[in-house]
Amino acid sequence: MKRFLTSPWLTIRVQLALGAIFVIAAIPKMADPPSFAHMIYNYRLVPGSLINLSALVMPWVELLAGLALILGVWKAAARTVIGFLLAVFIIAISINLARDNAIDCGCFNVADRGKTHEQRIFDMKVDVFRDLGMLLMVGQLWWAEKRRLDEPPSVDAI
Amino acid sequence: MKRNIFFQIAALVVAGILLAIVANAFASRDRKVSLVGTYPNALKVPARETPPPIATPVAPAPVATMTQPATTTTIAPVTATTTTQPTATAAIETVGINPATKKPPVTATTTTAPTPHAQSPAPTTEFNPHPDKPYVEIGFADVKALHAKNVLFLDARRTSVYEQGHIAGARTYSVWESDIDDKVRKLFDERSDPSAQALPIVIYCSGGDCEDSHMLAQKLWGIQFNNVYVYKDGFPDWQTRGGQVHTGANP
Repeated sequence: MKRFLTSPWLTIRVQLALGAIFVIAAIPKMADPPSFAHMIYNYRLVPGSLINLSALVMPWVELLAGLALILGVWKAAARTVIGFLLAVFIIAISINLARDNAIDCGCFNVADRGKTHEQRIFDMKVDVFRDLGMLLMVGQLWWAEKRRLDEPPSVDAI
Repeated sequence: MKRNIFFQIAALVVAGILLAIVANAFASRDRKVSLVGTYPNALKVPARETPPPIATPVAPAPVATMTQPATTTTIAPVTATTTTQPTATAAIETVGINPATKKPPVTATTTTAPTPHAQSPAPTTEFNPHPDKPYVEIGFADVKALHAKNVLFLDARRTSVYEQGHIAGARTYSVWESDIDDKVRKLFDERSDPSAQALPIVIYCSGGDCEDSHMLAQKLWGIQFNNVYVYKDGFPDWQTRGGQVHTGANP
C-alpha cells in the first residue's frame, strides 16, 4: 500500500490532476476580478484595502502554481504554494461556517447563483471536504518526493 | 535546497503580482478594479435576517388597540423614519432638474409587465432628507412613487447585469468596478449645491442579501448626499411587480 501511494505512477497523476484543478479554478477569477473581489468581501476576513489586490493576485498565483505542477517545473515550490492556499481556504470557510455567515465559496465560479442560506451552508461543508481532499493530494506529492529522496539509489541507477 | 524552494515560491508570487497588475491595467472598464479598495464593512459579519413570521389566520387582531393595519417589515421603519422628519428641504417636484433622469433615451427595449401585487402598501408621501443616517430602506410602493417623480435611480449591480435589464432611467453605478469613484465624483459635480444634494436618490441591487446598494449609499452619504433610499428588495422585486424595465447600456 505504502509502495503504491508513493509510486511514480500515482504521483504523476496526482500532480497533473492538482495542477489542472488549480488552472481551471483560476480562469473564471482572472476573467472577472470585480466579482471575485465581491466573493472575498463576503468572507469578512480580509481588510477592505486588501480585497481588490487579493482578488487580482490570487488567481494568477493559482494559475502559475498549477501550470508549474502540470509542466513539472518548480514542483516543490508549486505544491507548497497550493498547500498554503488550500489551508487558507479551509480555515476561511470553516470560520464562516462557525459564525453562520453563508457565502458562495468563489472557488470555481464567481457568479452569484442566488442560493438560499441553507444551500450555501451545505455547499460550504462540501467545499471544506473537497479542499481537505486536495490537501491530501498535496500530502501525497510531498510524501512521494520525500521517499524518493530518502531511498538509496538503485543498482541500475549506479 | 530549501533556500532554492523559498526563492521559487517568492518568484511565483512576484510573477503573480506583476501579471495581475499588468492584466488589470489592460482590462476593460467593467473588468477592472482599483488596486486599493475602500470597503468600510469588510470585516463586519452581517446579521442574518430572519423571515417575518407568517400570520396565523385564527388569531383575531385586538380591534380596540389596533389603529393601523400591519405592514411588512421592509416598509414599516421607512414610514416611521420619513414621516418623523421635521421639515422638507427639497420639493420632490424639482427633482427633474437632472436631464439624465428626466427622459431616458429610447435605444433599447422597454417592457412593463402588468402584474402588480395586490398587497402593495400605500407609498410614503414625503421623502425628507435624513442627514443622521446614510440611507433608508424602502419598498416597492415608495420606489414606484419616486420613480414616477423622475427621481435619480442608481443601479449598484455589475454593468453586465445592468445591461441585461434595469429599472427604466437608472444609471449604472457598480461599486465593484474601478470607475465608481469617478462616477460618484461626477454625481457630486452635478449636484454640488446643498439643495440638490437633498434631493432623493434611489439605489438598488439584486435584493436578498445583496449589499451593493448599501455600500453605494454609504459612499454618497460620505459626500453629503443626505436623502438616499435603498430599494431593499431590489431589481427582482421591481421586475416581478411589473415595474418599467429597460435593457441595454443606456438608462
